[in-house]
Amino acid sequence: MKITKEKMDDGILLFVEGRIDTTNYNEFENVVNEVFKESINQIYLDCSGLNYISSSGLRVFLTVQKKMMSTGGKFKLFGMQPSIKEIFDISGFSSIFSIYPDLETAKNNG
Amino acid sequence: MQKHKQLKIRNDIRELNRVVAFLDELEEEWKFPAHLKPSINLVLEEALTNIIFYAFDKNTENEITIEFETEENKLEIILTDSGKPYDPTQQEDPDINLSAEDRPIGGLGIFLIKQMMDQVSYQRIDNTNQLSMVKKW
Repeated sequence: MKITKEKMDDGILLFVEGRIDTTNYNEFENVVNEVFKESINQIYLDCSGLNYISSSGLRVFLTVQKKMMSTGGKFKLFGMQPSIKEIFDISGFSSIFSIYPDLETAKNNG
Repeated sequence: MQKHKQLKIRNDIRELNRVVAFLDELEEEWKFPAHLKPSINLVLEEALTNIIFYAFDKNTENEITIEFETEENKLEIILTDSGKPYDPTQQEDPDINLSAEDRPIGGLGIFLIKQMMDQVSYQRIDNTNQLSMVKKW
């Protein structure tokens, strides 16, 4: 897994590439915890390079969503591959996350 | 014709990387539909993670056997471990209609297995847990 961070005018953009599974979800968790320290109120997550996620990764996603909601912030996902979207659908996560086709739509909505 | 393959791993989470590599070879060799690989990878990870984290006493080294069997349009995966008796099929499903605030963290692993596979069954045989997961296409 590779994660890159980029500052945006209205938040931070994360790009995650590869797999988030039980062996590496803590790396992803560490990066988002760093982001929380900067009191960012909008996190954009580019999922286009994410090709595998297990329940360990989903836990981190839900934790981020809960934290952002509790501080009035936004967590926006975009560019999700169909196989990942399927897991979000099965888990009921598609209805509790804001998922957009691309960054532009994510920026212009909600 | 029925084909059979087996992999043995230790109860160490890093062994999951070996499972992924084994699955790559298996897909190549058995030519099961490519779109099934992520789901098979996922159910294996969820089931094995549970066994590795909860079945054994801490700091003990144990073995888990993963058997793959295929015939025609069907793949069966059987996991065998000698850990504490645990039947994952009895675990209650999470309520997936709850809001983000009310959703508990976790409890999704077994649910994903049940949703993604066509049959999931458990048996306790000779002091071992045997979990069978079947996918058809």
